[in-house]
Amino acid sequence: MSAILEAKDLHLSFKGVKALAGVGFHVVEGEFFAVIGPNGAGKTTLLNVLSGVYEPDKGQVLFRGQNLRGKSPQARARMGLGRTFQGLEIFRGMSVLDNVKLGAELALPTYPPALPKAEREWRLRAWAEEVLDYLHLSPFRHAPAGMLPYGLQKRVEVARALAGRPKLLLLDEPMAGLSLEEKQDLARFLLDAREEWGITLLWVEHDLRAVLELSDRVLVLSYGEVLYHGPPHEVRKDPKVVEAYLGHG
Amino acid sequence: MYALSKQLTDAYSRRFARAVRETYKEDEAYASTPLGRLALWAFLALLFFLPLLLGPYPMYVATLVAIGALSALGLHLLVGGAGQISLGHAAFMGVGAYAASHLYGPLAPLGILLGGGIAALLGLVLGLPSLRIKGVYLAIATLAFQFLADYVFKNWEAVTGGIRGRTLPPAEILGLALDTPDRLWYLVLLFALPLFFYGKRLLMTRAGRAFMAVRDNDLSARVAGVDLVGVKLLAFALSAFYAGVAGGLLAQLYKAVTPEYFPLTVSIQYLAMVIVGGAGTVLGAVLGAFFVLLIPEVLNSFVGALGPQYAAALAAWRNVIFGLLILGFLILEPLGLVGLWGRIRNYFRTWPLPY
Repeated sequence: MSAILEAKDLHLSFKGVKALAGVGFHVVEGEFFAVIGPNGAGKTTLLNVLSGVYEPDKGQVLFRGQNLRGKSPQARARMGLGRTFQGLEIFRGMSVLDNVKLGAELALPTYPPALPKAEREWRLRAWAEEVLDYLHLSPFRHAPAGMLPYGLQKRVEVARALAGRPKLLLLDEPMAGLSLEEKQDLARFLLDAREEWGITLLWVEHDLRAVLELSDRVLVLSYGEVLYHGPPHEVRKDPKVVEAYLGHG
Repeated sequence: MYALSKQLTDAYSRRFARAVRETYKEDEAYASTPLGRLALWAFLALLFFLPLLLGPYPMYVATLVAIGALSALGLHLLVGGAGQISLGHAAFMGVGAYAASHLYGPLAPLGILLGGGIAALLGLVLGLPSLRIKGVYLAIATLAFQFLADYVFKNWEAVTGGIRGRTLPPAEILGLALDTPDRLWYLVLLFALPLFFYGKRLLMTRAGRAFMAVRDNDLSARVAGVDLVGVKLLAFALSAFYAGVAGGLLAQLYKAVTPEYFPLTVSIQYLAMVIVGGAGTVLGAVLGAFFVLLIPEVLNSFVGALGPQYAAALAAWRNVIFGLLILGFLILEPLGLVGLWGRIRNYFRTWPLPY
């Protein structure tokens, strides 16, 4: 088992606020890796650094052995680094199908955008339909994504990201605001995607039960620093984590 | 025994009246149902034979609407498609018109293409500010371009003929002068039909999705692998190309080009077409152009028919009625004429069932 992603000594501050202060960890290929921590711990900032929305002040990110410094978000997406957002960042005016097709383009080689090719569209369509079917979104394929209920919109975003067949998918609170049933469905989709398409998952999540049940390893952040990095069953016993995040029960 | 008439109607419904798309391939086509395909061919035939059906003045209006629809489609790709804004659309039409006024007669088709090309290059330049600014600020930047172009049209006498503008002899194809609207119509079709199919196809495929992704959510688009810079520049260049070609055709229709044809109000008129038509679809461009260009003509002839003593008094009311119609649309049907059309179509598709 090799590390698919390695972060070394990441620093990032916004006008004196240290969002990340020397964060280092690695994600093993094929694992389900969780990042947790209290509000303002730097979890979303970390994802933004990994996906290229922010450039770190110091430190480096290695993705499949390649240094990501200076690579734009779209370049990283093409390298196989997928991402979903905390708020709903889907394409609201586009149909569910178009959302997924847009994501699916990452899974197929590129061609000049000004030359539409029917054959390619059909291949995209076939693959997009597979993903839609997989996430039980087929009945909604022609609905404008912004008109769907919240839970389904979340699922559309996951579908869009999965359709690109990323090697590593970064998920920012995919379960926030979902009902228990929807959470269970989503967990199943994610685990199946890992099994079937070999996607490594890194997720930021507040639902601690889900995190501890599903994840292989956990990273706990607080004020931009790593408190804990290891298997989930020991995280509850770590005194620093209990102090900063879990609280005494 | 199944009656023959029943068999025939069954065969008809299977072939043409089917409202449901059955395969992915059908779903991806221009017209997704057999009935839709039939309607598309019928419409193309109608376009082809239109000069035989209409008199000279209606034909003039039809040509004007077709050229307007082509230009409106360009703005649709930019505004409804990629979510950028431009108040300089008329300026691009002007660029196309002036370029076309220098290549006339047998060279006219070349001149029109050249006008589109020059406009597209300028569109690329105008696209540059869109990489840094959005929304109202971008609108102001494009407004500056409109005024700048207006100034150049009026003062670069060597090329534009200044305030008086330029006149041009009619286009010629194989020695036949296209000096009347019913002849020029075919030149318009020659340019407009391929550009319409290209626009439709574009919105249905990869580039169109990238456009709409930038419109809906540019952060997410970047993370999904969309090249923001490329998409914005392509959208501006394409939009300007459509406007330039339309401007060249308009020069042929008017047989003259003056700065008065391309002021700011025309830019705003085209934005109105986009909004009234319904954003981001090819059908919206056509319906919007119909509405914005045809209604004033209809009101005009209505006022004219009432007799000269009322004409002067009602002429002012014409604009008020037109304004009220647009306002009514925005309030009652935010999706524009396309939304209205969709509802009518769905009503008949499921008829006689209510849902």
